[in-house]
Amino acid sequence: MPTYHAPLDDIRFVLGELLGTEKLAELPGYEEATPDIVDAVLEEAAKLAENELFPLNQSGDEEGCVFENGVVRTPKGFKAAYDAFTAGGWAGLAADPEYGGQGLPKVVNFVMEEVLSSANLSFSMYPGLTQGAYNALEAYGSDEQKALYLPKMAEGIWSGTMCLTEPQCGTDLGMIKTKAVPDAEVEGAYSITGTKIFISAGEHDLTDNIVHLVLAKLPDAPPGIKGISLFVVPKFLPKEEGGDWVAGPRNGVACGAIEHKMGIKASATCVMNFDGARGWLVGEPHKGMRAMFVMMNAARLAVGLQGLSQSEVSYQNAVAYAKERLQGRSLAGPKHPDKPADPILVHPDIRRTLLRMKAFNEGARALAYWVGYSIDVYTKHPDPAVREEAHDLVSLMTPVIKSYLTDVGFENANLGMQILGGHGYIREWGMEQYVRDARIAQIYEGANGIQALDLVGRKMGQNTGRLLRRFFHPVDAFVSANMEDPALQEFVVPLAKAFAKLQQATALVAQRGMADKEEAGAAASDYLRLFGLVAVGYMWARMAKLALEKKPTANGREAFYDAKIKTARFFFQRMLPEVNALNLAITSGKASLMELDEAQF
Amino acid sequence: MTIETIAVIGAGVMGSGIAAHFANAGYPVRLLDVVPKGAAEGGNRNALAEGAIQRMLKADPAPFMSRRAAKLVTPGNIEDDLDSLADVDWVVEAVLEDTGVKRALYDRLEAVLKPDAVISSNTSTIPLGMLTEGRSEGFRRRFLITHFFNPPRYMRLLELVAGPDADPAIVEAVRGVCDHRLGKGVVTCKDTPGFIANRIGTLWIQSSVNNAIDMGLSVEEADAVVGRPMGVPKTGIFGLVDLVGLDLMPHIAKSLLATLPADDPYRALYREEPLVMRLIEEGYTGRKGKGGFYRLNKAGGGKVKESIDLKTGEFAPSVKVTPEAVDAAKAGGLRALVEHDSPAGRYAWAVLRDTLAYAARLVPEICDTILGVDEAMRLGYNWKFGPFELIDQLGADWFADRLAADGQAVPPLLEAARGKGFYRAEGERLQYLTTAGDFADIVLPEGVIRLSDIKRVSKPLLKNGSAALWDIGDGVTCFEFTSKMNSLDDQTMDLLGKALKLTGKSHKAMVVYNEGSNFSVGANLGLALFAVNIALWPQIEQLVKGGQDAYKAMKYAPFPVVGAPSGMALGGACEILLHCSSVQAHAESYVGLVEAGVGLVPGWGGCKEMLLRHMADKRRAGGPMPPISKVFETIGMAKVAKSAHEAKEMLFLREGDGVTMNRDRLLADAKARALAMAEDYAPPAPPEEIRLPGPTARTALELALDTMAKQGVATPHDTVVADGLARVLSGGDTDITDVMSEDDLLALERSVFMELVRTQGTAARVEHMLETGKPLRN
Repeated sequence: MPTYHAPLDDIRFVLGELLGTEKLAELPGYEEATPDIVDAVLEEAAKLAENELFPLNQSGDEEGCVFENGVVRTPKGFKAAYDAFTAGGWAGLAADPEYGGQGLPKVVNFVMEEVLSSANLSFSMYPGLTQGAYNALEAYGSDEQKALYLPKMAEGIWSGTMCLTEPQCGTDLGMIKTKAVPDAEVEGAYSITGTKIFISAGEHDLTDNIVHLVLAKLPDAPPGIKGISLFVVPKFLPKEEGGDWVAGPRNGVACGAIEHKMGIKASATCVMNFDGARGWLVGEPHKGMRAMFVMMNAARLAVGLQGLSQSEVSYQNAVAYAKERLQGRSLAGPKHPDKPADPILVHPDIRRTLLRMKAFNEGARALAYWVGYSIDVYTKHPDPAVREEAHDLVSLMTPVIKSYLTDVGFENANLGMQILGGHGYIREWGMEQYVRDARIAQIYEGANGIQALDLVGRKMGQNTGRLLRRFFHPVDAFVSANMEDPALQEFVVPLAKAFAKLQQATALVAQRGMADKEEAGAAASDYLRLFGLVAVGYMWARMAKLALEKKPTANGREAFYDAKIKTARFFFQRMLPEVNALNLAITSGKASLMELDEAQF
Repeated sequence: MTIETIAVIGAGVMGSGIAAHFANAGYPVRLLDVVPKGAAEGGNRNALAEGAIQRMLKADPAPFMSRRAAKLVTPGNIEDDLDSLADVDWVVEAVLEDTGVKRALYDRLEAVLKPDAVISSNTSTIPLGMLTEGRSEGFRRRFLITHFFNPPRYMRLLELVAGPDADPAIVEAVRGVCDHRLGKGVVTCKDTPGFIANRIGTLWIQSSVNNAIDMGLSVEEADAVVGRPMGVPKTGIFGLVDLVGLDLMPHIAKSLLATLPADDPYRALYREEPLVMRLIEEGYTGRKGKGGFYRLNKAGGGKVKESIDLKTGEFAPSVKVTPEAVDAAKAGGLRALVEHDSPAGRYAWAVLRDTLAYAARLVPEICDTILGVDEAMRLGYNWKFGPFELIDQLGADWFADRLAADGQAVPPLLEAARGKGFYRAEGERLQYLTTAGDFADIVLPEGVIRLSDIKRVSKPLLKNGSAALWDIGDGVTCFEFTSKMNSLDDQTMDLLGKALKLTGKSHKAMVVYNEGSNFSVGANLGLALFAVNIALWPQIEQLVKGGQDAYKAMKYAPFPVVGAPSGMALGGACEILLHCSSVQAHAESYVGLVEAGVGLVPGWGGCKEMLLRHMADKRRAGGPMPPISKVFETIGMAKVAKSAHEAKEMLFLREGDGVTMNRDRLLADAKARALAMAEDYAPPAPPEEIRLPGPTARTALELALDTMAKQGVATPHDTVVADGLARVLSGGDTDITDVMSEDDLLALERSVFMELVRTQGTAARVEHMLETGKPLRN
């Protein structure tokens, strides 16, 4: 049976020692978020994930969601687990206290998302979508809309969705057909008609009501992406009862079917039919994409964490297996002569495989939490210049986190499966589920190829590269400050070299892309991966420096810091060199991609 | 005959502007107007002319190119000073547009002027025939219409009308002065109402206004269409009317209607718009009044740009729009604009249909050739393309067919253009369609060389993405910036180095010249900022070093290099001029070292060259400080010379550098200068010894700076930048006993540049400049 333990040691190291999140409590609005409180929350989150959610992961996958008579039934145990989840106040962990949330920092929520996803990715979808819808309503909803919906969503008794995709369009939302016309009966309301597909949590039995945020076109909409408006369309029309809002009569929206998928089978992926459903405009007419992006940006980061989460849980089970599985002998002679065979962990290639996972998990976690921490800075910091810097960094890193963490997350779920051999391929051990579950993260919330285009096409050139400054200057400063330290040479020198490659590639892609957009497109995915590697490398160099400083006085935690240093060494020697290959590929340009005729494919 | 002295009568906007421009050309000018009423006893009898000169000295854009030019204008009045005109060679009349007033003045002039003095009128509406009717032959042979456009210094068109009795020698002399000395594009017009530019321009404006109202476009939409997509200045049509003055429109219309032929299409198009009449009545006469179709609403301390709703007549905040037709034009050109199935597309068609068909109908009535018409619209209305060039863009056949489909008459000239168009390249020659229906060569005036012609028929000697080197004949090469906006980058410097080597091997001299509207506004800031943002410090330092090396190699090249700027030559482009052996500048050159505005110091030798120039300036005060202080002020405040003459005063140009008034003649003048210098050319000797005071001078400069900061004149980042500049100009850690080399100064420029470029304040300034075009005061 697979197991999962939230990696609290490492999480604490990143938050407390690397990022110094104790400073969060100095930001206005986060006075409560002292290290003690945060730590207690993390402990509880770990318990919830390990004890309530992880046990439902395999069974949920086996059973899947069931669609009958227009109703979706989640797998056994989900409803009870969800009730426990809301009862613990987890739904509103980072929500505004004004709406009944806990008001905790976003970076704490990042931890929560990682841990929840590791434990049960399907389950995490339901509160995840609610949170996205909550963010969009909070940013663009009217005061009435906020007062009506946000408390219910923060409490978790109403959930949310984002309804974007239609049968004929996903990436290119300018092509949507769903229409909104003024409602004949209710002043200020609209009547929404159309079909949305791939709607996660579109229908289920976990909450009293489901709040759909729907993209649709008004009658006078300009063509394309500039003519899309956002509407809030509840499954049940809210009615007032005793000073509170409760789910009232059924609205004209219904689930038509659920998809049969490769993974995340316990997450209901629905076809949603809107048939004259009553909805209300969120934000300004035709400006729906703006509100939708609030939701998508947060969601993209959360999806990045999903990638990390599957790598983490896969790693934990692969390591356990590699320590127990006795097969053959070490190439250097028996390590455990007393046993019939050595555990497979003795083999260099098994170690290489596991270390790839471990080094990624710890480096990517540090990177993701840095970005999460920056969200807190840009939402709460009193100095607008500091806020702008933090916002720039988050904008820049969002496509990197989304793509790089999900691409490698999937690769690592596969590597974990490989460690178990045939046992990894059968269901019993749970390893193949991580592969299947991880796969979607590369696709939804903007396919990874689109993320790469976002990075090179939008983020790179924005304000003549100002967003890049927020990453490149800290790395440059770190490299210059530590280049001469002999103890850090083995980390900082390869980082400096890789960083120089990234600088060159950035200049090259920007220059070529300016003259020829296809050149930027041809470089995009390789460039994003190069960026991801250097970013993780930067985090590893910082962690190695910190570990070297802390180890001598670690007081019982020497092994932890020692492992950090050794893992850093592995990263710089065995993983970072990939930047060279990527750089060569980027430099080669678009020619080899574009010279084949259509018929030659 | 020679023309050496000028008088202008009438000190209104046009008369005084014309007088100023003659002064810009170096002519002594007498400016006379009437004696103001009430000045009879003891008052200032020259008040009108004197007041005009004073106003012009404060005006922006300035009518004078230098204060020295202003001194050439002598004010007077026509009561006391008319007799003194006996010796002037040319009198320009710019009095009221009233035939009687003008003719009465001519009577008086004829009595005092010498017999061969030229008399010309600046009338825009009165036919020459009406002014000369019944006058003596002696008057008719020396009378012309010289129609300047407003403002005379800046508008390049001069419409020249000569009557049948005009003496050809006089016509040629006047044409020569207008062309060479005043720098005008002289277009010979026939004696018809409104001549060329205003005849077509007035119909164009009327059509644009009418159609916008009839077709329900907003003023912003109309301006977006009748603007950039048609090669018209971005002010568009309503913006233009605001600029010219709404109240002027009925006047122009009235005078045209009084003289136009009975079947002229303008008559059918003209109408008094109630909205326009109401606006004029309420004082919305345009930018000179309370506003016009646009206004700035300053209510509540704000500054909101508003525009009028053409349907309701109410003002509301202006909303910038880009109609889809305009986007379509970006990709598909003019045809895509007028064929776009939208109100904006139909509007574009209506305006172009009216205007271009009108122009085609008027040749040869108003001008012998299409060349004159196209030139007049380009220079007089700042159109990028003349009407016949626009028809060629649409396709002459297509245009004729569409006219016919709209039920409109196809002018004979347009019929003649079917299947051929109006312009063509025949081998190496450019040709135009004559009224006889055949093609004739376009012949450039003597002394005009166009780089575009050379480029059309030859291959560059060298070329990369940012620059090119051309052979312009007689052993001279031309180094051309070719990048976007002519900005300078590493490739420019790379090619400059190669160009110098090649020119040295096989040629006698080089000119640095291009035909952009600006010579160059300096280094490619976008590229530099991007490199800063990704911390590519070595590349930035290399860019600085590469520029220093290239410029220095140019300075000491064994052959002359002549810089030939026109328009803006800022920052790195000013620095290239500072390193040239000599400069032949277009009079309209705007030169300055503006690096401080983006938080930097000049890094391509600009600090060094300005220091050397000021140290060598014989007029300067003694001691080591004055030149340093002067350069500190010029660079620190990013001062820009507003003309070639001012650039000389500020030492951006040398006293001996040449000034060309006519933009078309710049390349030929520069080439001639280069060839003259190439005879026994010796490169400059390196400065013998440079001694700078070091930290003591720096302290003195910083003291002054400190005061400015305390007064709030200097912002925090100004202080950082000026401190860096002070360090360079004082010589760093040197002292007055040390001898420094040019390279020491260059190294100092480089190191301060690199320090500044790493600051967040400088990055913010560069970013702000790139995004808004304005300096950030951080």
